[in-house]
Amino acid sequence: MDKAINRQKVLLQHLNPSQSSSSTSLSASACLAGDSAAYHRTASFGDDVVIVAAYRTALCKAKRGGFKDTHADDLLAPVLKAVIEKTNLNPSEVGDIVVGSVLGGGSQRASECRMAAFYAGFPETVPVRTVNRQCSSGLQAVADVAAAIRAGFYDIGIGAGLESMTTNPMAWEGSVNPKVQMFEQAQNCLLPMGITSENVSNRFGVSRKEQDEAAVESHRRAAAATASGKFKDEIIPVLTKIVDPKTGEEKSVTISVDDGIRPNATLSDLAKLKPVFKKDGTTTAGNSSQVSDGAGAVLLMKRSIAIQKGLPILGVFRSFVAVGVDPAIMGVGPAAAIPVAVKAAGLELDDIDLFEINEAFASQFVYCRNKLGLDSQKINVNGGAMAIGHPLGATGARCVATLLHEMKRRGKDCRFGVISMCIGTGMGAAAVFERGDSVDELRNARKVDDLYLSKDAR
Amino acid sequence: MPVFKTPFNGYSVKFSPFYENRIAVATAQNFGILGNGRLHVLELSSNPTLPISEIAAYDTADGIYDVTWSESHDSIVVAAVADGSVKLYDLALPPTANPIRSFHEHTREVHSADYNPVRRDSFLSASWDDTVKLWTLDRPTSVRTFKEHAYCVYSSVWNPRHADVFASASGDCTLRIWDVREPGSTMILPAHDHEILSCDWNKYDDCIIATASVDKSIKVWDVRNFRVPISVLNGHGYAVRKVKFSPHVRNLMVSCSYDMTVCVWDFMVEDALVSRYDQHTEFAVGVDMSVLVEGLIASTGWDELVYVWQHGTDPRAS
Repeated sequence: MDKAINRQKVLLQHLNPSQSSSSTSLSASACLAGDSAAYHRTASFGDDVVIVAAYRTALCKAKRGGFKDTHADDLLAPVLKAVIEKTNLNPSEVGDIVVGSVLGGGSQRASECRMAAFYAGFPETVPVRTVNRQCSSGLQAVADVAAAIRAGFYDIGIGAGLESMTTNPMAWEGSVNPKVQMFEQAQNCLLPMGITSENVSNRFGVSRKEQDEAAVESHRRAAAATASGKFKDEIIPVLTKIVDPKTGEEKSVTISVDDGIRPNATLSDLAKLKPVFKKDGTTTAGNSSQVSDGAGAVLLMKRSIAIQKGLPILGVFRSFVAVGVDPAIMGVGPAAAIPVAVKAAGLELDDIDLFEINEAFASQFVYCRNKLGLDSQKINVNGGAMAIGHPLGATGARCVATLLHEMKRRGKDCRFGVISMCIGTGMGAAAVFERGDSVDELRNARKVDDLYLSKDAR
Repeated sequence: MPVFKTPFNGYSVKFSPFYENRIAVATAQNFGILGNGRLHVLELSSNPTLPISEIAAYDTADGIYDVTWSESHDSIVVAAVADGSVKLYDLALPPTANPIRSFHEHTREVHSADYNPVRRDSFLSASWDDTVKLWTLDRPTSVRTFKEHAYCVYSSVWNPRHADVFASASGDCTLRIWDVREPGSTMILPAHDHEILSCDWNKYDDCIIATASVDKSIKVWDVRNFRVPISVLNGHGYAVRKVKFSPHVRNLMVSCSYDMTVCVWDFMVEDALVSRYDQHTEFAVGVDMSVLVEGLIASTGWDELVYVWQHGTDPRAS
């Protein structure tokens, strides 16, 4: 056998002479760009599900804000109309509209969504349905449409989210099954969300100060984004009415700015607030997400169709995952879901350039950020739910709009984004999106320290 | 022009000096790395449309790297075998009597064999054990061993004019000229910066020698002035495996290379490449020009094919 090896060596020397005295020609060396998963994987294929449009309404404070006198279907209709108008799509080509919505009564809300579709100019041939996975419903709707497109049910679909917490505040109707006494986890599903926030901050040691700082940062970033006009790309102005609570006078208004943002929020202001859910707790109104009204819509289709129609591609849907966690600390949902979604997309956490992690409460947001070791410069760069608001069912869809538009602004270096939220009753959901249009391969080469050509070599 | 498919990968091809339509082909299994070998003696038919036929085939336990015809007997071939032995075969004898001789002195692969065309009584074997050995047909052991090279000797070639002079090309990047009457080498040419895989003497000028190297070039030297080559022939894409001067035209030479092509050069001309033949689909490792038929070229390669064609024609045309 040695003979064979030696003969091979001799022959190899003819083809690749190692010693060269004067002139050095080309020599092989390990690829310095390394095998970062994002670099070479995920090519673009015609059957990718892509997002060609994503819009949202402004998010307004429930009961007191700009949409307090707006019907839920009047929130949805403008965004549905926008995704069609801005892309010049024939609405009859839409295969389905899936709307995530949480608090409205099941059948009524579904009917309202159907009616909204008619307001938006959709023909009767376009079906509508709703989906409810609590806070992730908007994201779940987008994922459902992507899955249906992949399954071949239709080629073009709209995933949307809608919530009017003015019309439907969080409430429990009817009695509670006494059986929950015997099932702690079931009982914990009934915990007020604020209590789960206190559970998280207690168990994982997130201090009041950290939470308030996160809230201040959220407001600061959201205010900066609004001031610089970043949200103009994604917000659809809604023409609606406001009824003066004292005089009953109706006024016609156009709502196009998130009205929950406090540009001048400071740490000291927040420190003054009293804990709401537990006597000596840490969760206050300031470091919790706001109760809001709003809607968002995302137009998805196959890449081949988008190219055929000449539509610029805003983003590519890569993966979605929903996981279950302990209902008592439901806020840890993103920490559980994000790694799974990233892995499902064939990536690593390092490959993700931008995150939208819903700030249901500062406690869980800070915990998840620290647990995953994420760079805070990459998360909620334009503010989060504490400043902008959290209209439960709409949040997922609104995050898609915010994320994709921000990735578009950041340029080709910002290739992958993740949206994630915790879900009441103990779940987490996460989805990975890729920036639209083609990837600049040269700029996405990442330098690595070790020259292993493959991750498996580690 | 005909093509012959050998079962093993081709390593060397030589025209018989006696019969114009007879060639010997040295082949080795698995590219010569591991396995058996076979020596084919083929007959070209006078009608070019008819295929090449096989007169004889001899199997060996290890690959055969080179073959040479005896200049004294029309039916004897010498095979350089990879297991270090040099075997003699006689076509006139039945297969059971073959090989008639097996000389096993080299300690490593024998890479080349060459028969003395002037004296016709002796032949050389060049081996990867850094030595060249001189043999005669009648003696059971080598007449002389020339041990000076520092690495594998790839080729040793007799001078066509001077009976006792030969050149050896080695992986130590030198070409050595020897005279069998002298104790050591008479000249050392540091011809290339990389291994020299083949050399050949010019048939019309006894001082001109060509070397083919891993650096993809062929250099033509005048041994009287060996500091600077007469010409450097570039054009091959990979190491040049074999070079042979034409027996009919003074300036013409043929070479084959790992870049799968066979090239014909005129080294006295500025634009030296005369033709390039790319019929092989694997390394082209063996090439020869017939002494008896002007312009007839044979080549073989690792693609297990032997081509015989007239220079200027398409080797693949039938």
